[in-house]
Amino acid sequence: MPDLADFQANFARAILDDDSFDRLSGQKAFAVYRNTCARGAVEALRAAYPTVDMLVGEEMFTQVALDYRREHPPRGPVLSEYGGEFATFLARQSWTGELPYLADVARLDRLWLESFLASEPAGIERSYSRGSRVALHPATRFAWLAMPAMSIWQAHRNPHGLVELDPVWADEWALFTRPGLSVRAELIDAPYYRLLLACVAPAPVAEVVSAVAAEFPRADVSELLHRAVASGAIIIQ
Amino acid sequence: MTPTAGLGFKPVHYEQALACPAAGLWFEIHAENYMVDGGPRLAMLEALRASFPLSVHGVGLSLAGTARPDGEHLSKLKRLVDRFQPFLLSEHLAWSRHEEVSFPDLLPFPRTNEALETIGRNIDITQSALGRQILIENPSLYMQLEGHEWPESLFLAELVRRTGCGLLIDVNNVFVSANNLGFNPVSYLDALPRAEISEIHLAGHSEDPLLGGSLLIDSHDTPVSAEVWKLYDWLLAHRGTDRPPTLIERDDNIPEFDTLLIERDKAAAMMAGQREVANA
Repeated sequence: MPDLADFQANFARAILDDDSFDRLSGQKAFAVYRNTCARGAVEALRAAYPTVDMLVGEEMFTQVALDYRREHPPRGPVLSEYGGEFATFLARQSWTGELPYLADVARLDRLWLESFLASEPAGIERSYSRGSRVALHPATRFAWLAMPAMSIWQAHRNPHGLVELDPVWADEWALFTRPGLSVRAELIDAPYYRLLLACVAPAPVAEVVSAVAAEFPRADVSELLHRAVASGAIIIQ
Repeated sequence: MTPTAGLGFKPVHYEQALACPAAGLWFEIHAENYMVDGGPRLAMLEALRASFPLSVHGVGLSLAGTARPDGEHLSKLKRLVDRFQPFLLSEHLAWSRHEEVSFPDLLPFPRTNEALETIGRNIDITQSALGRQILIENPSLYMQLEGHEWPESLFLAELVRRTGCGLLIDVNNVFVSANNLGFNPVSYLDALPRAEISEIHLAGHSEDPLLGGSLLIDSHDTPVSAEVWKLYDWLLAHRGTDRPPTLIERDDNIPEFDTLLIERDKAAAMMAGQREVANA
């Protein structure tokens, strides 16, 4: 009588190892399980990284996703959580040297998804004074990119089709917010990025303002603060 | 209104689904797709739930795994169930986890006494944690395994007896397994404790691209086949007058909402006793 633990250990090994061939995995129908497991992981990754998929093409993405799965098989059944290491993985691949912005585009796909799935804030105040504390909205995500990855990302995610793209090869700052029921992506500047960074731990307004002003003396910090509150990027506590 | 025939909920059909006036219509979701912290997905489900009965169908508990159900996964499921109060809650007779790795599939196992003990324990744990009955679905099988001590129908009946769980019978899975493993699907349905069936699934299958009709795949990407409608008709005729809520599942190659609704209406009509539509 086969022991359940032994049976499952053997089955699991044979699914992950395409070369295994024994009484079980040698059966033609075993391929159904192998394919379903591989396809599930590949399609979950594709769904999470649609812009990377557009940039490299469907066939290439499938190959890369299979390589990724060999190193990082799914660790849980909630597939929207799968693929958290994908940007780091892409950065390590030698072929991405030809697409130096690809790993950053993957990071942006991930930030969009995190924003989309994040929780709602507990309660939002509408007005603030210098004594108020501000914090990031749970769905706010932002990044500093050493390349025009956000311009590339936005051009591909434009719902009206690919817009003409002529990026300036300089640093960019990206912000994702979820003001209503959809995620909004925007390019921001360095002072705005600094302001968001100052809100990572909830802080008094005065403290945030002086942190930004110290680094960017010419920035209109109160205008930035209004923008951040109006867009829902930060909330008043 | 008593739920009759339902549809697997597809976010692309959200607006038509919400506006659909069909009597007895209900929707089913895959639990794992809604195990998220917040945002539009849960907001959409909230709106759907306000207008329709909801069924939650889990694919990730790995009840036939040797490990106990993952505590974190179970608490996510509980949060979902507590919030949306589904009228049906189901999982599979399959495993999908081994040690640290999850397999996005429903994997087979030899139906031994040991497996029966393990699965019974895992169903007990799940039902206690959730504070309610769950339904267990029969899987689609693709290959012969050595070492079975129980036929599947009797294995399911024994799990019902031991744990008080109910059954979700997927008629397409019965058809696919019967074709692939060479057994009689009517004998299978005949051996089930049919009074314990609380939900029925109907779906489409396709032939394996290499092996053809000798290997059918439970692909959920085509309409329900004529053979599966016939088996469904047999099951209804042998169940008595309280017909279990029936779901049309479609997960790939998704057609217009109205096309799915036609299949759903056919199931509803058959549930209402119009047997002749089985041949339509």
